Amino acid sequence: MGRDGYLGDLEQMLLLAALRLGDDAYGTRIMEELRSAVGRRVSRGSVYVTLDRMEEKGWIESSMSGPRPERGGRPRRVVRVTAEGVAELRKSREALLTLWDGLEDSLETP
Amino acid sequence: MSVEDAGRPPRLAHLLIRGRLPAELADAVSGDLEEEYRRRRAGGTGRARSDLWFWGQAVTLRAGSLRRASARLRAMTPTWERNRPRRAGHDQTTRSWMPMRPDDVKYAVRRLVRAPGFTLVAVLSLALGIGANTAMFSLVNAVLLRDLPVRAPEQLVEVYTSDEDGYPYATSSYPDFADLRGRDEVFRDVMGTRTFVSRLDQGERPQVVFGEAVSWNYFSGLGVPMALGRSFLEEEDRTAGTHPVTVLGYRTWQRDFGGDPSILGGSVRLDGRPYTVVGVAPESFTGSMPVLVTSLYVPTMQVEAIGGFEGQTSRRSSRSMFLKARLGPGVTVDQANAWLAAFSAALAEQYPDSNEGRLMTAIPIGDVALHPLVDRVLKPVAALLLVVVGLVLVIACANLASFLLARAEDRRKEIAVRLALGAGRASLIRQLLVETVMLALLGGAVGILLADWTLGLLMSFKPPIPIPVDFDVSLDRTVLLFTAGVSLAAGIAFGLAPALQATRPDIAPTLKDEGTGGGRPRRWTLRRGLVVTQVALSFVLLIGAGLFVRSLQKAQRIDPGFDIGPAALVWPFAQISGYDTDEAVAGLYRELEERLLAHPAIERVGVADRFPLGAAVQTSGYVLPGIPADSRDGDYDLDNAHVSPGYFDAMGVPILSGRTFTDDDRAGERVIIVSEAFVRRFYPGEDVVGSTIEDGSGQPLRIVGVARDTRVRTLGESPRPFVYELVGQGGMFGAEFVVRGKGTGAELLEVTRSVLDEVDPDLVLMEAKTMNEHLALMLFPPRMAAMLLSVFGGLALVLAAIGIYGVVSHAVAKRTRELGIRMSLGASARDVVRMAVGGGMRLVGVGAVVGILLAATVSWSISRFLYGIGTTDLATFAGIPVLLTLVALLAAWVPARRASAVDPVRALRAE
Repeated sequence: MGRDGYLGDLEQMLLLAALRLGDDAYGTRIMEELRSAVGRRVSRGSVYVTLDRMEEKGWIESSMSGPRPERGGRPRRVVRVTAEGVAELRKSREALLTLWDGLEDSLETP
Repeated sequence: MSVEDAGRPPRLAHLLIRGRLPAELADAVSGDLEEEYRRRRAGGTGRARSDLWFWGQAVTLRAGSLRRASARLRAMTPTWERNRPRRAGHDQTTRSWMPMRPDDVKYAVRRLVRAPGFTLVAVLSLALGIGANTAMFSLVNAVLLRDLPVRAPEQLVEVYTSDEDGYPYATSSYPDFADLRGRDEVFRDVMGTRTFVSRLDQGERPQVVFGEAVSWNYFSGLGVPMALGRSFLEEEDRTAGTHPVTVLGYRTWQRDFGGDPSILGGSVRLDGRPYTVVGVAPESFTGSMPVLVTSLYVPTMQVEAIGGFEGQTSRRSSRSMFLKARLGPGVTVDQANAWLAAFSAALAEQYPDSNEGRLMTAIPIGDVALHPLVDRVLKPVAALLLVVVGLVLVIACANLASFLLARAEDRRKEIAVRLALGAGRASLIRQLLVETVMLALLGGAVGILLADWTLGLLMSFKPPIPIPVDFDVSLDRTVLLFTAGVSLAAGIAFGLAPALQATRPDIAPTLKDEGTGGGRPRRWTLRRGLVVTQVALSFVLLIGAGLFVRSLQKAQRIDPGFDIGPAALVWPFAQISGYDTDEAVAGLYRELEERLLAHPAIERVGVADRFPLGAAVQTSGYVLPGIPADSRDGDYDLDNAHVSPGYFDAMGVPILSGRTFTDDDRAGERVIIVSEAFVRRFYPGEDVVGSTIEDGSGQPLRIVGVARDTRVRTLGESPRPFVYELVGQGGMFGAEFVVRGKGTGAELLEVTRSVLDEVDPDLVLMEAKTMNEHLALMLFPPRMAAMLLSVFGGLALVLAAIGIYGVVSHAVAKRTRELGIRMSLGASARDVVRMAVGGGMRLVGVGAVVGILLAATVSWSISRFLYGIGTTDLATFAGIPVLLTLVALLAAWVPARRASAVDPVRALRAE
């Protein structure tokens, strides 16, 4: 959650994944996106907890879809990144880019 | 498979997730899980793997981060909502009763790991009990309980025809069946089946297969869908031999044809004739006989062609069909029976020769396990076995309970402190229960492994019967559920009592250190009761085992009246090996006999269509001058066999007066040899040699000799009147060779096989066994009973010994201070040991008295399974108490010895 006001690594990834998925952003799909895009496996529990926490902070909003047959008649909890969430992402990105600046060369050779 | 119909995940796991989450979140979470589950299934992951995955997800969610999430969510509810006064204790207790809180699990695991000895003994005790139960239940389930996998089995009835002796549950004739099938007053469908044995030429050697000749509507009437292809058509079952088609059993298809679907339309050779494969029966349907697995099915009319069944479908007096019928809508079994009575009467009027006095009866299919006649014997045996293993489980559970009580006793102080500090009783009990349930589940898991192993062992004791059979006995789902239920119930039942006792809220005396050292411990009544129970039950089992072992010993010592030395018994199945006519078969037997006798290792050869103490019972009607008939047909029904001239010499049955058969007898008048018992029973004191009786059709039979009695049907019977006719006069179906000579039975068998192979390499041997194997058939039931009961009795003894050991060892540990005081006041080590052992043996004494009384009652009820000994067999009733006392003494002495090693100073200082 970024003790000094920046996003944590999992938070960042979840927000980005949710943005990429758009209307299709719900628990299982988000986990899949993380797995397929960057090969990151996260525990189901931490995904739900982190989403809850971010909702509490107002970075995302969630809504329940209608009941769906492939889920045994249960709804989806679809999340949408709010303006604040996007702002947080931008802030983190800028901070990281600033820090990265000029370091590319030193990373070329290990 | 699409995601929508990919099947649902386990419901129980869903409940686990929902547990304490707000409904909305629970829906979203379990919806996610279900969606993924279905996608896995649709993607081809197996059901078991997917279920396992689902459970894993549910458990980790439940145990880990979800708890935090829901706590957070609860924290988000408004303050006033959270602080609203609750009904006292309500919410708290409900929640604290939730099963498997991760802390409890962790705690329980830690405790079990810390006391490996206790854990091992407890798990093993339970595993033995549960394993024995699962194995026996699987067996009983396979034989007696398993339903035929058919549509609406509650509408199905078995239909039997009464036989000439009035026994109601005999098989029916094909023409009767055909008439019945044409009527629709009470039955919607009538299906018929008949078993047959045939030669299947597939693979390297021709094999003998067990088949069913079924009516064309058999599969459709039962409601059994084909796994592949179709079932039979009406025209395939109309005329004899015109439509050689077959449906393969699933296992045959898998084993002999590699599960290749292209077998459809292909052909298999049965008795040398090609049959076209039109379908494959489903895996779940293994034929209409339980335990036996049918290799293939053929329409009834097409079996005519298979050897030994000529004329079966046209003769009303030839009864070999098992009938099943589906009741019409709204028809009750009683109505069906009333109609069948009228139907039978009409048949009797029309065909008095064959159907006079025959009555057809319907029984609901669920009331018949194998066959009403067999059930009468099997059901009590099964019940007995289940009771026996049930007792073993009770003893095992008593052990567990006893240990848990002891542990609870040890923890009294810890628990008292925790109660005093405000721990809820409920949460303490829950912790203890979690521990118990874990033990029970572990025991159950190990028990299943044991059961699997035991079943394998039991199956290796196949009854020595000639038909090649596949036994369908496996640990199936019902059995698994049963075991899981038993082990859970055991854990909860026996975990709860100690848990309740340990948390009884009388904190003060415990805290004040009472009961740790001085005085007689007071709260052991339950444990003592358990030990008494164990000892008593072990007694019952051991005495039962003793009786069966003694009965077996007696049985083995009975003189059967013939030579039981090394011999080979071989049955060449000529009729399915291409020998079509009686002459061809007789020629084959003559040649085989000559060639056998020509072999240097073979000295004597005999032929008989029935050997004493074999499985088959064979009788014929004879008219005995001066003796009133015992059957309606006006003749006397006697056990008989058709034997060759060499039989008496080869079998070691001496001819007491008159002569044996000679080859010349085959021509002239028909001659017979009778047994001593025949003479004793019908013509005592007379010389019957030379006199004449008649066979059922009035042909004269002259008695030329009297042979010594042999046991015929069972070892325990009194000698039976017996008639030997000459083999070959009227077919040689089922005629077997008995071969004697140099060497062991196995060597003789080898020699015999090689000679037969030289004569005709394609000859199918229906049966090839040594004399010992033949005798094993008779001894099979007592041997199985003695073995099973000995194993279970031994198991009970070990468990009871563990129980006694536990009680005495715990008593010694508890009374350390008292023992120290006694020793410092001058008691010797021997006194102390005697005292400790005495305490244990008192319990054994009480248990023994109860046990002997129980055993006396039980032995009376098993008397029908015993022979050769009384139910109060002295050797058993005297020997078992001695054995049990010795074991109990040992079990008590080992821990008691520790008492004598007590150092008085340390003991007095001990807390």
